[in-house]
Amino acid sequence: MTDETATIADGPVLDVVSGMVRELLGGYDVDDIEITMDTTFHEDLELESIDLVVLADRLQQHYGEQVNLAEFLADKELDEVIELTVGALVRFVASRR
Amino acid sequence: MIVANGIRMHYQWMRASGADTEPPVVVFVHGLAIDSLASFYLTLAPPVAAAGIDAIAYDLRGHGHTEKPGDGYRVGDFVADLGGLLDALGVHQRVHLVGNSFGGTVAFAYAAAHPDRVASVVSIEAEPPTEPWAQRMRAMMAEAVEKLAEEGAFARIAEAFGTHHARLAAAGLKRLTSATMIEELPTGPLLDLAGLRAIRCPVLSIVGSEGFQQDDLGALERALPDCRTEVLAGQHHSVLVESHRTIRDLLLRWVGEHAGTPAGAR
Repeated sequence: MTDETATIADGPVLDVVSGMVRELLGGYDVDDIEITMDTTFHEDLELESIDLVVLADRLQQHYGEQVNLAEFLADKELDEVIELTVGALVRFVASRR
Repeated sequence: MIVANGIRMHYQWMRASGADTEPPVVVFVHGLAIDSLASFYLTLAPPVAAAGIDAIAYDLRGHGHTEKPGDGYRVGDFVADLGGLLDALGVHQRVHLVGNSFGGTVAFAYAAAHPDRVASVVSIEAEPPTEPWAQRMRAMMAEAVEKLAEEGAFARIAEAFGTHHARLAAAGLKRLTSATMIEELPTGPLLDLAGLRAIRCPVLSIVGSEGFQQDDLGALERALPDCRTEVLAGQHHSVLVESHRTIRDLLLRWVGEHAGTPAGAR
């Protein structure tokens, strides 16, 4: 994945998603973690599937019912969910809000 | 989050879309150790809700974001949690329980104890808590802990399956060993033949031809009063993650066929 560059429309969503992810990670020094469009949830951020459920909740609270991450992921294969990037999620949110 | 049976439980309720007054309710019960409600919430819950069925998923005690008490891990504790959750959520109609692996065991135990609250059970690679089940559970959990305790075990898993699986295995081991799960779980209470016959609701048993029941794929159908078996060819114990679309189709058809079971009819 080399084309995960944020467009102007993606930028604000990336900020919101990054903020939510930092909250999920908790602990010290979370502000120092670099979160880009290429960052993967499982490999890079070490988030578990259950964290994606919480993220789905928060995205829906922030953007409304139409941003349904669970529905988006239910269409994917397990490998695709494991390899999910912040960029893919940002694009999905940007397309729905 | 909601307090049920004295513990803080994490649940997600995906409401039926376009529902009439009282849509059917499906409750998803996940598996042991490395599992959480995410396995269902991110696969079957969205299409179920889209089909006009309420979808409730929750994290079992000691798993996901539900409280992790130091003890209280008999099957009966999980059954009491499920009843407590339905009460706390105000769900009083008969529900369709969908359980994966150990979650199916909890579903069977709940259906035997509370036949008036269950419309049907959909069991995925699962069996009721019986003495042979308890023996297998003891052996499997002991083997898993022993293997994972070997030096370099996680590195080997990471090399073979990727770091994601290695992390899951490490988290699963911690879950099994940090509480009294290994000792308590196989103690049931277990069901004997009369207990199995108390599971009177319709049961759909989905098994992989290469899964845990491969030695006798029809055993459950013979033991239960009203059970149908669907064998998924070439599939293993992880059939839910490998074939969630096939299971989705089976589940939607099943609930459609059994949506009208009135309270007290069975």
